[in-house]
Amino acid sequence: MALSILCGEALALGLASGPACIASCGPVLVPSLLTERAGIRSNARYLSVFLGARLLGYLLFAVVAWKVGALVSMPPTSRVFVMGAVNLLLAGMLLWYAWSAKHLCGQACATPKLVKIGAPGSSRTAGAATLGLLTGLSLCPPFVAAGVRAAELGSVALALLFFFCFFVGTTVWFLPFISMGCIARNEAVLTVARMAMALIALYYLLLGITMLIGKNVYGH
Amino acid sequence: MATNACTPHFTPASPRGLLRSLLLTLPMAIWSVLMGFHPGTSTDPKALLAAAVTAIFMTVLFFMMMRTGTTYRWRRYFFVTLGVLFPIGFIYNMVLARGTMGIPMEEMIAGRTPFCFLAIPLLIVPAALTRTIVFPGSITASGHAIGVMVGLWLAMTLVLGKGWCAYACFFGGIEEGMAAVPKRAKIRKLDPRWRYGPWAVLLAMVLLSLALFEPAYCTWLCPFKAVTEYVTARNAIGLMQNAIFIVLFAGLVIVLPLLTKKRTQCSFFCPFGAFQSIFNKISIFEIKIDRTRCHSCSVCQNACPNLSLSKESIARGEALMSCMKCGACVDACPRQAAVWHIKGTTINWKPERARLMFLYAAWAMAIMFGGSIIASGLFTIIHFL
Repeated sequence: MALSILCGEALALGLASGPACIASCGPVLVPSLLTERAGIRSNARYLSVFLGARLLGYLLFAVVAWKVGALVSMPPTSRVFVMGAVNLLLAGMLLWYAWSAKHLCGQACATPKLVKIGAPGSSRTAGAATLGLLTGLSLCPPFVAAGVRAAELGSVALALLFFFCFFVGTTVWFLPFISMGCIARNEAVLTVARMAMALIALYYLLLGITMLIGKNVYGH
Repeated sequence: MATNACTPHFTPASPRGLLRSLLLTLPMAIWSVLMGFHPGTSTDPKALLAAAVTAIFMTVLFFMMMRTGTTYRWRRYFFVTLGVLFPIGFIYNMVLARGTMGIPMEEMIAGRTPFCFLAIPLLIVPAALTRTIVFPGSITASGHAIGVMVGLWLAMTLVLGKGWCAYACFFGGIEEGMAAVPKRAKIRKLDPRWRYGPWAVLLAMVLLSLALFEPAYCTWLCPFKAVTEYVTARNAIGLMQNAIFIVLFAGLVIVLPLLTKKRTQCSFFCPFGAFQSIFNKISIFEIKIDRTRCHSCSVCQNACPNLSLSKESIARGEALMSCMKCGACVDACPRQAAVWHIKGTTINWKPERARLMFLYAAWAMAIMFGGSIIASGLFTIIHFL
């Protein structure tokens, strides 16, 4: 009974936090999804890998949160350092992704088989997984809320269960992204996605650097 | 190459008779006076003088459009004047109200900045998802005025499509003026993929605005912060933000237009322009290329300040989605193959009538939005003189 209440609480938190999760992951997910080939199935595959890696990030965080006493006791400087490092990795990954999409275009755009852009090879899967993992480790507000709650639980297994249910709740909000497979892929869409990724990467890069050097973005 | 392709019996535009031109201008003259001297207008002689000069200026330009049958040149006089006078009036009012052009970040986040239409596309997705408007300005303070302005913008946009960017935007004039300075472009070959830039900036900024819950474009990327109100630099980040604004302004609004003779900020960067392009699909007015007359001389393509014509689009007989209907291609075409067109009619259906219908709507908007800004800038100059 207590377990089902816990699951229900985590699920409700996930469902309620969905828009914030989309907002947090959107800058990474949307452009990278646009560099995949068109089609519901291929987009669903990409999203599965992304979300699977994100779940892994959640569970890893759950273990660390519970073991270390979590975010509650983590000094703000350490938290900012972790965030800065994650942002830098995210920026690097996005830049690599934007760059690699160029090569995919070079192979496919000149031929009628335009649909092969972003054909999921091993590197694309690894890319999706890395992006998913990094967004999973980003300390967005709902994630911190879940981390604080998980840290209060009696065992690591309960913390893992809490995060899993939280993940399921948030994932519901990600399902509509599969419909992005309906958007036709051509040079325009690919170029827009790559440019957007580069811009977003620059933002994360700036954010990461400022966090690591100990400056607040909107400090006084 | 272009002139070789022409045949002499096609003239670029046919001048209209004086009386007919005056009659066609009369409604716009009345509209200019109504907009300049509506009830509530300041009775300060300097303000009245500024309003009178503006009304005459707008009326004369419209008359010249009617008389000569050309559009682009006269519209450009207005547009550059608008672009130059906007910062003058704006900065003066800003300094009067606040004592400085700088605005602290917390003031910006609190929404104590003047209304700016560039932020409109950034707030749609956050508003849809969170029912909260992320806006860098006060909506509640003068809600009805902003509501009316947004309503008018939407109505005009539905009618004119991306015409907003050529007849009302008070940011594009400076770069259009810069693009007009050199006789020839130093950089002629531009990678057409840069045309997708505004869409990329729009996508990135909408997503980041949602993630950060702030208008990311206004805080990080707007080139026009350099000539309106900048973020007060109180730390390294503030300095970095201002450096970005200045570099983008210098690069996209000054240097690149001088080198390319194009409106580079509008063509490669402005997210609002991308957003406005969507409405070109709804607007009934468009530019068409009559394939029976076109000799593919590329004069129209070179004349377009916005890279809205490509060889492929000309072959299809149409401008690209980003066309802002400035009329440059129509005026430049030596065979009158580029024409104003109303959707649903045949391509040969009275292009001059289509032009007139478009220009009445566009110029009315120009007087309404741009006229007050020009008058404000003129007032500032007269005040200092």
